[in-house]
Amino acid sequence: MARYLIKRTLQILLTLFIFLSIVFFLVNAQPGDISHVYSLNPDLPPETRAKLQDLFGVNEPLWKQYLVYVKNTLTGNFGVSFSLYPRTVADVIGERLPRTLVLFLTATVLSFYLGFALGKIVAWRRGGWVEYGSTIGSVTLYTVFTPWFALMMIWLFAFRAGWLPIGKFLDPVEWREAPTSANAVFNQMIITMIVLSVAIFAVFLFTTRKRVAGARLIQAGSIVLTAAVVAGVWIASGVAHLAWDIVEHMILPVGTLTLISFGGAMLLTRNSMLETMREDYVTAARAKGLPEKQVRDRHVARNALLPVVTSFVFSLAFAVDGGIIIESVFSWPGMGQTLISAATTEDLPLAVGAFVFVGIFVLVAHLAADVLYVYLDPRIRY
Amino acid sequence: MSERPVLAVEDLTMHYSIKAGAVRAVDGVTFSIERGQALGLVGESGSGKSSIAMTLLRLLPDNAQILRGKILLDGVDIVPLSEERMREYRWNRISMIFQAAMNSLNPVYKVGEQIIEALEAHLESAREESIERVRRLYDVVNLDPGLIVRYPHEYSGGMRQRAIIAMALACEPDLIIADEPTTALDVIVQDHILREMRSIQAELDMSMIYISHDMAVIAEVSDVVGVMYAGKIVELGGTADVFHSPIHPYTRSLMSAFPSVTGKKRELGTLTGEPPNLLDPPEGCRFHPRCPYATDVCSNQEPPKVRRGNHWAACWNPQGE
Amino acid sequence: MAVSDSPPTAPRSLWAVRAALAARSFKQSWSMFRGTRIGIIGLAIILFYLLLAAAHPILMNTVWDEKIYDPVVGYAFDETRQPAPPSWSHPLGTDPLGRDVLSQLMYSARSEFMLGLLAALITVSIGTTVGAVAAYFGGVVDTVLMRLADIMIMLPGISVLIVLSALIGVEHFELALIIGILSGFGGTGVVLKSQALSVVVKPYIEAARAAGGGPVHIIFVHIVPNLLPLSFLYMMFTVTGAIFSEAVLSFLGLLNVRMSWGLMIHTTESAGYLLQVGEYWWLIFPASLSITLLCSSFYLVGRSLDEVVNPRLRRS
Repeated sequence: MARYLIKRTLQILLTLFIFLSIVFFLVNAQPGDISHVYSLNPDLPPETRAKLQDLFGVNEPLWKQYLVYVKNTLTGNFGVSFSLYPRTVADVIGERLPRTLVLFLTATVLSFYLGFALGKIVAWRRGGWVEYGSTIGSVTLYTVFTPWFALMMIWLFAFRAGWLPIGKFLDPVEWREAPTSANAVFNQMIITMIVLSVAIFAVFLFTTRKRVAGARLIQAGSIVLTAAVVAGVWIASGVAHLAWDIVEHMILPVGTLTLISFGGAMLLTRNSMLETMREDYVTAARAKGLPEKQVRDRHVARNALLPVVTSFVFSLAFAVDGGIIIESVFSWPGMGQTLISAATTEDLPLAVGAFVFVGIFVLVAHLAADVLYVYLDPRIRY
Repeated sequence: MSERPVLAVEDLTMHYSIKAGAVRAVDGVTFSIERGQALGLVGESGSGKSSIAMTLLRLLPDNAQILRGKILLDGVDIVPLSEERMREYRWNRISMIFQAAMNSLNPVYKVGEQIIEALEAHLESAREESIERVRRLYDVVNLDPGLIVRYPHEYSGGMRQRAIIAMALACEPDLIIADEPTTALDVIVQDHILREMRSIQAELDMSMIYISHDMAVIAEVSDVVGVMYAGKIVELGGTADVFHSPIHPYTRSLMSAFPSVTGKKRELGTLTGEPPNLLDPPEGCRFHPRCPYATDVCSNQEPPKVRRGNHWAACWNPQGE
Repeated sequence: MAVSDSPPTAPRSLWAVRAALAARSFKQSWSMFRGTRIGIIGLAIILFYLLLAAAHPILMNTVWDEKIYDPVVGYAFDETRQPAPPSWSHPLGTDPLGRDVLSQLMYSARSEFMLGLLAALITVSIGTTVGAVAAYFGGVVDTVLMRLADIMIMLPGISVLIVLSALIGVEHFELALIIGILSGFGGTGVVLKSQALSVVVKPYIEAARAAGGGPVHIIFVHIVPNLLPLSFLYMMFTVTGAIFSEAVLSFLGLLNVRMSWGLMIHTTESAGYLLQVGEYWWLIFPASLSITLLCSSFYLVGRSLDEVVNPRLRRS
């Protein structure tokens, strides 16, 4: 296991290295290399330009530049953004990445949870309008042109009904008198979310592992209790309305994203369930006289879970990538938006920095998938 | 013996409906098993042996229907039972040793856990008791109790088959159906396991149904043999009677397809032709297109039962005697 | 007098035999494909858009006045207000710049098909070659190609396209090329390699080798033809991906194309009509619906081809 992980990590580091090299040579292959862009940028004061030229070693030979670039990247030094001057790329990414992650983590977890739950039921009761309707719905959600779907959601729920804000991260009016910055509040929200999910996860793990009597009650109670504590702490902090403003802005993009990836998750679960249901151990479980629900959940769904988990991690990995569209439509200031605006304003350091980060994120997610798989499938022992 | 048989099957008929029509997989099958008896069902693949097993447990796919007949388990007909009542019968009263031991254990759970699961579905016992019981079962089937907490992929083929047997014994059922219990194993392991099963059966005074295409296996373990052809039992009788003086031409050709080590030298007979298409089985005796003794009457009338003591066959032109 | 003996049948070439076999398996596959229903729906949608694409140049040369109906530089002089709602002369209205929406829609259909086909061809040529070569040679060649595939699979596609569009001007051809390289060396290559592995062990490959066939001969004459059904299946999915990517990029305004469905929505957005779906539905619905329909039609055809090619998925 440890050996496998080391091997895999090395492989991923190699991949990262190749990835960085490709980015470097793509940037350098175009006429007017990165140094040119920097030195010609009129926004930069002369001393900064000199410093940057020094930093990037513009006058050095290409291979030396390459080494410097790799070193800078690995130490998190991506340079200074043009469009958001004088903020550094690392600073911009540090602000935007959490926003993207929260959005996508929530939506991906939700959509896979719902997709798995429904796919399970649909596969179990084959035929009938439930299967037909949900399959059609899922294929539609799976193939719909995402920007259009997002637009329709905005139009329906924000524009026509006026229930939710149209887009963006927060409402500036609310924040005019705010005692803290949006980032501070948002970071607190992230911490809350982590604490909350860890607590609930621990309770669930404990009650199912130890087979505690009345597990359902304890689980429900713990959710209510932690929610109450969290709500209390937030109200006491006095910035609850600001946090709520952010939450309000999150509902529509999270809902849209959830619906979009829900279709795929459900179809995948359904197919995986149908395939698993043919296995002999499912017949054996039935022959053992286990209740239907136990056969479905413990034997079929548990084994059908494996490909769904793979797909879950993949969609997490590509969340930032696929989310570019959603972020752009909802004007959500995350990594995707950053990448697009960097690309359209030719803010090269920011574009490359954001891109490299997206790549690193994907690689890490792949590594996480491998570890998770070992845990889920006892047959896999590397 | 006036004791009620453990299992009595009467005129059992089961069809699968597919696009092209009805597949007559089990057609008017009648047999019974006394306590402590072992019945062997033998026949080519597709003759309906496994379908009978699945029908007895009522584990049929959606497109299968039991059209006629009774399955009397200790006098109670289980055909009309609700799914929930049936669930109580499964494993508790009839359990099964599956054809593919490899695939009938769920790869993601420990083997012991999968046996305990069956126990918990039927018995109200504490977890410690269940574990203790699995331990004893492992003893019975000669498995190291340390293996209880191992996963199926950590077992060898023979070990898996033993675990499956332990699992089938878990609730002390009245009847165990063994569907090709040893086909996937090598000959030596196969022999060991069959012998153990035989002695366990005698010790616990259980009834068994062995299903196999392998005459040798059936001859070794069963007291009574039923020969199946195209969804019907064509010959039924004591093992020695059926194997030494077969009545039905099909049984004879099956016998001669196997070389005898101790018997006198003879031509190995081969069965020509294909087993019939159960969507549209031949009229009269279903074996007549392949039967060397077929006469006109065979092709249009159901054959009568020819009895010799406790041994019968459905045939117009009985052999032997 | 009857001809005494028939001349010895001319040895049919390998390709003739193959063509005969292909024709037979095509008939079988077609009847299976017809049974899947969703495939037929997909095919019908594709046909509909093919007709639209084909009709455009005909209409331009006969009924439609070029000055008014040109999808890029035309202007509807006959309308007083732009964007104009649908009318007899402009069945789908005009866009904010006074151009006929139906004409744009039909004109774009052709370039979507060209793009999809091109991307699919590039993907499959690369993927088939990579798969066959990796499976045939194994060893170092295989390792290198598969590591490369790992990287390609891990690359975030849309981000790559966005960054590239910032670095170099991306047009349809470049887009097709990038998609082809990413998918051909990546996912498609891996799938085709696993298929090729099952071909490489067949006796006729050994026979060809024993008969002195070189690697190039064996790969392209014996292995690649056996990969074609699966390649064809993956072409469908590539088309979906290509059309979708094109639509997204041009919607974001990152693509240098004259006209496309994504660009139509982009135009609507930059003119500020995006959220007035109720009043100006013709500015958003035709293009968005076309993207969705064409993407899903190739996806549906792919799914039902999957059932034909892949016996595991067939319904019993």
